[in-house]
Amino acid sequence: MASRADTGVSGPPPAPRQRGGFGRFNLEIRQHVSLLRQTVVLLAGLVIGLAATAIVLIAAGVGLGAIYDEFVVSIFSSSMSVSAVLVQAAPLLVVGLSAVVAFRVRFWNIGIEGQMIFGSIFATFIAIHDVGPESVRLPLMFVAAAIGGMLWIVVPALLKLRLGINEIISTLLLNYVAFNFLLYLLYGPWKDPKSAFPHSEQYEAFERLPLVGWENITWALPIALILAVAIWWLLNVSRFGFYARFVDANPKMAAAVGVPIVMLTLSSALLSGAISGVGGFVVSAGIEGRMTQSFFLGYTFSGILIAFLARSNALIAILVAVFVGVLFVAGQSLQVFYQIPGSMVQLIQAIIVISVAASEFFVRHRVHWVRGAG
Amino acid sequence: MTPALELSGITKSFDGFMALSAVDFAVSYGEVHALLGENGAGKSSLMNVAAGLYAPDEGHIRIDGRPVAIRGPLDAKANSVGMVHQHFKLVRPFNALENILLSDPRGSYAGGLREIASEVARHCEALGFEVDVDKPVGTLSIAEQQRIEILKALVGGARILILDEPTAVLSDQESDRLLKTIRSIAAQGAAVVLVTHKLGEVIAHADRVTVMRGGKTVATADPRAVSVPDLTQMIVGSNVHEVPSPSQKIGEQLLTVTDLRGARADGHVALTGTTFTVRAGEIYGIAGVGGNGQSELAEILMGVRKPLSGRIDLAGVDDVSGEGPQERRARGLAFIPADRHTWGLAGALSIADNFAVAGVLSGKYGTPIRVDGAAIRAATRKAVEAFDVQGVRSPGQKAALLSGGNAQKLVIAREFSGSPRVVLAHSPSRGLDVRASAAVHERLRSARDAGAGVLLISEDLDEILLLADRVGVMNRGRIAAEFFSPVDRHAVGRALVHHG
Repeated sequence: MASRADTGVSGPPPAPRQRGGFGRFNLEIRQHVSLLRQTVVLLAGLVIGLAATAIVLIAAGVGLGAIYDEFVVSIFSSSMSVSAVLVQAAPLLVVGLSAVVAFRVRFWNIGIEGQMIFGSIFATFIAIHDVGPESVRLPLMFVAAAIGGMLWIVVPALLKLRLGINEIISTLLLNYVAFNFLLYLLYGPWKDPKSAFPHSEQYEAFERLPLVGWENITWALPIALILAVAIWWLLNVSRFGFYARFVDANPKMAAAVGVPIVMLTLSSALLSGAISGVGGFVVSAGIEGRMTQSFFLGYTFSGILIAFLARSNALIAILVAVFVGVLFVAGQSLQVFYQIPGSMVQLIQAIIVISVAASEFFVRHRVHWVRGAG
Repeated sequence: MTPALELSGITKSFDGFMALSAVDFAVSYGEVHALLGENGAGKSSLMNVAAGLYAPDEGHIRIDGRPVAIRGPLDAKANSVGMVHQHFKLVRPFNALENILLSDPRGSYAGGLREIASEVARHCEALGFEVDVDKPVGTLSIAEQQRIEILKALVGGARILILDEPTAVLSDQESDRLLKTIRSIAAQGAAVVLVTHKLGEVIAHADRVTVMRGGKTVATADPRAVSVPDLTQMIVGSNVHEVPSPSQKIGEQLLTVTDLRGARADGHVALTGTTFTVRAGEIYGIAGVGGNGQSELAEILMGVRKPLSGRIDLAGVDDVSGEGPQERRARGLAFIPADRHTWGLAGALSIADNFAVAGVLSGKYGTPIRVDGAAIRAATRKAVEAFDVQGVRSPGQKAALLSGGNAQKLVIAREFSGSPRVVLAHSPSRGLDVRASAAVHERLRSARDAGAGVLLISEDLDEILLLADRVGVMNRGRIAAEFFSPVDRHAVGRALVHHG
């Protein structure tokens, strides 16, 4: 046995540190979070984000009244601006759903733009080569777009499942491959023969999504809404979605009880790619009437944003897509009428995402003040 | 004599749940004071208050009779309180010296390491410790990591040492050694708090015992002056005593493992040719010191790890080693994992989802198009009732909120819902208190009596001896010896540590 001094576990006690009797904040993880509390906290986050946005805009020289005019009055007062919002919202919802499907099984698809490009390329191929009779041309383009988007995600999905290669990197890098292939087509074989501009020739009238009969809303919107309900059913009601929840929550446990993880991950990734492809089709055939060289820009970020804000719920994604559409349209008019730089619109989006994301913390935790013990 | 550490009137609630209500506790220099109680009794919460991890809502802390405010681990350290947590607080890629330096910063990195190395060497010599201070702690055994935690506390100047369930992760031999060390630390003048739910340890090694139940202190006593039944009574509020009940009828072979070899993720061959048979109506116990291939065996039998070679015959089917978990489960394999939070439950999902997933996989509860949520909730309520899962306010509640014992009961409820033919139970009572363990054991026995073959892999020899009809001893990746019930404890013990 060693002496006392050897071990250092004894000896005269050091003077304990003393501090005043101030309290401190205590953090606790909430055991139960009611839907009401979640909603209130989220809305509070949104309001704070909008307030910060207003400050930024005021600093940029837009008056408070003008902000109110652009965001609220002009958008909800005329059916034309409501339809402008919904026109934007349709493709946003589609890419949002693509992200929702992939994220539900922890497949981080950052290649939405690349898949949109390939969707649009496949659809445009059907259009410019006049594949099939005119009456089924559009459905053929739709299916081709889905296949094109799906093919563009096959490689990252297999690389992840077979070799464990991070899909964030592979899907992201394939965006650039897709983009450069698109430029090759548009500057090369598919250059518009009429104008010699680097975009595809205009689709025929029967190759464009028809109007539904109210303002300039096309079938893009009903397609997006039907997709949203279908995806919601798949993820929230069907057996597929039940399994996907386990893959998301605990992949190891899911594997141990026999959930077919590989099948679920692969099919979710393919579905996500297919939906992105449809997103490309919706923009080309629903808004622009041809394949341009920039139709896809920004949709990856928007898709992730929508899936994130909607907490991967396909029905909530509808509301969020409309909300992002409002930001988009209001941003455009601010740009036009108040000379606000375009990057400001992205800044606004980012501020709102951050504040809503931060609100998550207050949904999960309780902060309370305790007086110091001792 | 003034207590070294005195906690009085400590109250702490978590989001409305009272974890501690007006608890008093005191420990003196030179004594080992055991803090005994079931899971969830508040032992760890109380000690976390002393170590500065939790701020109490009310109450006072005194050290050497002086009131102190402990606002964080640094305050605790300044007041010479050191705690070895149940889940070690070590940086796995760092070596022992770096970990200690991290919690006890010195002037310079190199100089600090030198100082700490010499202090560690002194403590090691005084305590008879062997620790490899140069390897990353993540590569060391659990027992070694624990010694590093103790050294960290001592080098940091702790005179009040709190050990939270230190023996829960150790084998019999390692536990004995640790408890002797604890005694010698106390003999050298430190105050030691031993948090545990093992009665045997308390009686053999503690000078005083304080029993907690339901967030309150029940009594403080001299452990040698109280009988075991009385202590049990204090802990659980009722008497629990388990007795062996051997199998009545042993039938055909249900699980035969032949010359199974398997590797860990890092390539180390942990299973070196395991062969054994489990028959209907028996509990076959695999005893062994942790790390002798038990986890690899369990994972290979589950179907989540591929064997290198060998065969597994399951329920009359030749060689299922190429099949996945789903096919094996369809043949009647059920699995109670050692690490239920990794392999047993998805904590973020509801109790209902966790219960129903096996049923859904076998085609129950609705169609592929529509999962029948109402049927799942009804079945969950029934199972929660039948398996006595406590703390379930609704089937939609997250599974992560269940305490250890109740989480285990939920796993068992799910695994037994399909009337399994072979049950693989890996350390099924790890981390459970007396009463929850008894309930788990009862389930295993009733599965056996209903004609299932039960494979019990456990590092707790008492559990094996209590339950098993036959015992295989696992040593270095193979079954080194087999014993028939009634088993001679010492013979098994020798086979456990034999290195031949």
